[in-house]
Amino acid sequence: MIDEKERKYTTVSIPIQLYEKIKKRIEGTGFTSVSDYVTYVLREVLASLEEEEKEEVFTKEEEEKVKERLRALGYLD
Amino acid sequence: MKVFVIGLDSAPPELLFSEFIDDLPNIRKLLGKSIYGPMKSCIPAITIPAWICMATGKTPGELGLYGFRHRKNFSYNDMWIAHSLMVNEKAIWDRIGEKGLKSILVSVPPSYPPKKINGCLISCFITPDSSVNYTHPKELKSEVEKLVGNYVFDIVFRKDDKDSVKEEIWEMTEKRFEVIRYLIQEKEWDYFQFVEIGLDRVHHAFWKYFDKHHHLYEPNSKYKNVIRDYYRLLDKEIGKTLELIDLDEAAVVIVSDHGIKRMKGAFAINQWLIEEKLLKIKNPEVLENPIKFEQLDVDWANTIAWAWGGYYARIFLNVDGREPKGTIKQSEYESVRDEVADAIKSIRGPNGEKWDTNVFYPEEIYPTSKGDKPDMMVYLDNMYWRAAGTLGYDSHYLPENDTGPDDAMHSEYGVFMLYMPEAEQKRVDLSIYDFNKIILNLFGI
Repeated sequence: MIDEKERKYTTVSIPIQLYEKIKKRIEGTGFTSVSDYVTYVLREVLASLEEEEKEEVFTKEEEEKVKERLRALGYLD
Repeated sequence: MKVFVIGLDSAPPELLFSEFIDDLPNIRKLLGKSIYGPMKSCIPAITIPAWICMATGKTPGELGLYGFRHRKNFSYNDMWIAHSLMVNEKAIWDRIGEKGLKSILVSVPPSYPPKKINGCLISCFITPDSSVNYTHPKELKSEVEKLVGNYVFDIVFRKDDKDSVKEEIWEMTEKRFEVIRYLIQEKEWDYFQFVEIGLDRVHHAFWKYFDKHHHLYEPNSKYKNVIRDYYRLLDKEIGKTLELIDLDEAAVVIVSDHGIKRMKGAFAINQWLIEEKLLKIKNPEVLENPIKFEQLDVDWANTIAWAWGGYYARIFLNVDGREPKGTIKQSEYESVRDEVADAIKSIRGPNGEKWDTNVFYPEEIYPTSKGDKPDMMVYLDNMYWRAAGTLGYDSHYLPENDTGPDDAMHSEYGVFMLYMPEAEQKRVDLSIYDFNKIILNLFGI
């Protein structure tokens, strides 16, 4: 029987060299395992990618076009 | 059960349920077997965020969406425009998608850029133009264009050539219904929602020819029946569309994001803030002619407050440590805000008449207020008066809108009606936040 906690995690592979490098890096820090550190870094990277995607929805030209239209429609004054 | 949702932007209960109902045989038939009534909108009662508040059941504060534009990180000039990726809460289609049920969405704001949903969607009027990808899946775009040519997201109604405004609105709506009927027949769906923005545009462009209480009412104009005729067009298109749906098996909803009423005028709020010495500028000579706020050389180091206009006003305070050149001490924030709010509430009309102005503080009206919120939101005279952000007028009171002809303002109550095969007519009072629960309930969620 797999318990609830175990079902929330899965395994990914990273090169051993990288693993060792991370292990060294987190010595003496608040991170208790390589997995913790990797999870933290990936979350940060994904969040900033998502932020970037949000920023890049409109090109400068498109943004001007949309703003002009919204102004003409009365939403921005 | 299938659920088909007809979104009519700005349909007010007074017209849909009463004044025009005898001209609308298809809607009247549904109404006879519907749970129906006025539906209170969110604050602000405006297209974005209202439609997405409805779909998620969340307030603008929880969504962090307070209108079409937002300040970027308390800067004076930078802003971002609302779009679909800024919505982080689950909407009805996300929730039912998790159960494997399919949705079709047509122009539900904000839906640009098109998100991946379990089903398909066509984006809304914030789409820059039809050259971009505006559908999910991508291939749907060519199907739409094969069917109707250029898909019309919206039209610009604030112009004097009313004949062409009317023609463009009719064309947009007819095309949209053609696409809707195609999707009903060709795609799988459990939930279908579309939003017809044309109704809002027709209200704004033709209200003064229709409402004899409007201060610019033009009796016997050749446009006096345009609004009524547009409701008839909607009814005809809805009737044709419902023929494709088995009404013994489906629920049909007609809903709007807010209502509509006559506009009494526009109030140049930044001009008023200058007069009250709350907004200071370095180039007063520019005020001889109408100008945009961005053209002012604001003396930020001495400014307390400034405003953005629109159907409602957003007031921003210039706070030390928050704005680049903030002047209000953090410890005095609440008292300054109350003082500014009191001053705004005491604004009277052009003839000294008392106004019913409402001032809202985001953190008081929402469970939480995320993101780039304004310090205050203002309905001038309960939204009978528009807030003009522009300035440089002889009077603060403008009989016409500042950026092109516009006769109408939003009102707080939209409509809700839910037809179900076995239902009996019943009148109810609802809030926009009930919609999500009611629909999910139909799906057993």
